[in-house]
Amino acid sequence: MTHASQATPLNDEAIFDAMPMEESGQFANHVTPLIRNSWYVCARRDEVCRTPISRRLLDTDVVMYRTQGGQPVAMHNRCPHRAFPLVKGRIEDDRLVCGYHGMEFEPDGLCAHLPAISHVPANACVQTYPVADRGPLTWIWMGDPNLADEALIPKLPWLASPEWGTVTGDFHIKADYVSMHENLIDQTHFPFLHPGTVGTPEYARASMEASTEGDQVAITRRLDNAPPPGIYGKPADIMHKNVDRTSEARFASPAVHTAHAKIFDPQPDAGKPSVYGYYITHCFTPESNHSIHYWWFNSRDYRIDDTDIDDFLRDASTQAYYEDVEALEWIMDVVLSDKEAQQFELSFAPDKPGLMARRIMHRLAMTERG
Amino acid sequence: MPGKYKTAVVLERRELTEHISEITLGLADGSPLPASRAGAHVEIRFGGQDGRFLRHYSLIGPLSPVDDHEAFWRIAVQRENRRRGSDYIHRHFSAGTNVLISPALSPFRLTSDDGPVLLIAGGIGITAILPMLRSCMMRQRDVYMLYVGRRRDAMAYVEEVEALGGDAVTVHDATALGGRPDLDALLAQQPTDTTAYVCGPPALIEGTRQAAQRLGWAPERVRHEIFNAAHKAEDRAVTVQTRSGTQIPVSPGHTLLEALEAAGAETFSDCRRGECGLCITPVRNVDTDIEHRDRFLTPDQKRSNRQIALCCSRPRSGSIELDI
Repeated sequence: MTHASQATPLNDEAIFDAMPMEESGQFANHVTPLIRNSWYVCARRDEVCRTPISRRLLDTDVVMYRTQGGQPVAMHNRCPHRAFPLVKGRIEDDRLVCGYHGMEFEPDGLCAHLPAISHVPANACVQTYPVADRGPLTWIWMGDPNLADEALIPKLPWLASPEWGTVTGDFHIKADYVSMHENLIDQTHFPFLHPGTVGTPEYARASMEASTEGDQVAITRRLDNAPPPGIYGKPADIMHKNVDRTSEARFASPAVHTAHAKIFDPQPDAGKPSVYGYYITHCFTPESNHSIHYWWFNSRDYRIDDTDIDDFLRDASTQAYYEDVEALEWIMDVVLSDKEAQQFELSFAPDKPGLMARRIMHRLAMTERG
Repeated sequence: MPGKYKTAVVLERRELTEHISEITLGLADGSPLPASRAGAHVEIRFGGQDGRFLRHYSLIGPLSPVDDHEAFWRIAVQRENRRRGSDYIHRHFSAGTNVLISPALSPFRLTSDDGPVLLIAGGIGITAILPMLRSCMMRQRDVYMLYVGRRRDAMAYVEEVEALGGDAVTVHDATALGGRPDLDALLAQQPTDTTAYVCGPPALIEGTRQAAQRLGWAPERVRHEIFNAAHKAEDRAVTVQTRSGTQIPVSPGHTLLEALEAAGAETFSDCRRGECGLCITPVRNVDTDIEHRDRFLTPDQKRSNRQIALCCSRPRSGSIELDI
């Protein structure tokens, strides 16, 4: 909001200059350049080990391994000599050795040994990316390395806390990360796409507050005196009661969406808690504009060692997320193959939180392109 | 350019009346535009390369039943008194002007059954009704049409309409006939199960709906397309105050949404005609009553004046303080 506008009389030209460009320019979608200046999950921490693995992240093939000292390393999965995928090579001490001509690369990407000639040309190096471990995940920064501040890694302390029990799973999805973000912050699809798990009719009507906080969007809801949804109520064995419930869904960064729910049981049965807490963590990293790697975590603060609850939550979550995955893949297919009206979409009032997130993503994507 | 819009070019411009111009549009790459369904409209963005005005115009289609499919789209634009998009078109559009066009959208459409049809056009609303008349005549549907205008020489396509519809058409020249048509009598003469399609100023639509209600018609038997939901002749300049205390003047010819956008406020909008609800904003304080012109808020919500659709509603006068 500019204060300079106060005295300016409005005329067509002023309106003209300020009117938004066509809609597809305002909100990120599947053609918007991927946001690179953000920490993304590149792997589960235990995947990054002494055997190199590769994964395509933000349109770039990345090879990852771990040094003897336990530091994760990520570099371009392509030998600068003849494009041999470095993941097909081997690790020797802390070096990654190309499987084609034996060029050896240090964790900083510089070539330390080129067997065919007696010295190492200064231009023999591989692009590396800042990486860092946090809890069960390893994070990567694919943007401007000068901006790779580890303090910006999304804080998900419940994933590493002994007070929370977590089940997890992952998907590879042929859909775009913008749609995924919009799906997760859109609650009006719950009763239709997820009738058996997270969608209850009462909850669809609960009043919702949406707000932006910096580059985040949060929506909060409260519903009192109603039966819990199966995914929360069944494992806690409180399906027979009416409970109060608060929940927050948060577009936390281009890489992360979190959901936090609390169930309050006003009259807990003997020996049972009066409050049940859940964190749902969705991490996803674009593989390309049209596909993503997706890791999800369902964390709870009660009976964290109960494997029956683990099994229930793993199955119910997988079912619910699979419904989203399937829907988003169908949508991507329509959007990419229907030449009649590409990207045509109507929006309505309940779509506002998703549009808020997409506007932030669009701004971030455009800002970093300068 | 990605997105739903395609680049089109003005092929020809023709003056229909003192205030109405007909404009034909073709795709810039020369490929043909598809025939559109009767009653369909197009979103047009124009004004510079980025197309910063957005307006909806009905697709009129061919003007006689013998014409073949036309590979271009025909619209007619009435110049409003104030400096708005229509004025921009009248000042700047000529053969060769580039615009962006959406695919044809057709929420206003004839029922697919063969029931009797009553068409009511008011003023520039003829642009949506003419193709419906043509469709009914070609498909030999039972149709009757009333075309209301201020004065015969200000009514676009009046001769084409008479040629298309013959005895099925009545032209109501409000100046010659001294006032508004008797909608109650018109509706009462229609066969049972007639569906009425009305396009024109809000007063004509509201008048038709009230007449239908008095005669006991089911509400869904009156279908309408509102043109110019946002502006009325009696609108006054108002001031919008934002949370940060910024005062933004809004002239009678502009919407609150346009003024806020011009001032750089963070707004959301989609349809810009009072239907989608995206631009609904909480009201913190308002001097006068709000003229609610949207279809999103319930009557109770409108009476409470605690929310406003920025794209079309405005306070009667004075200032309004928004939570934005």
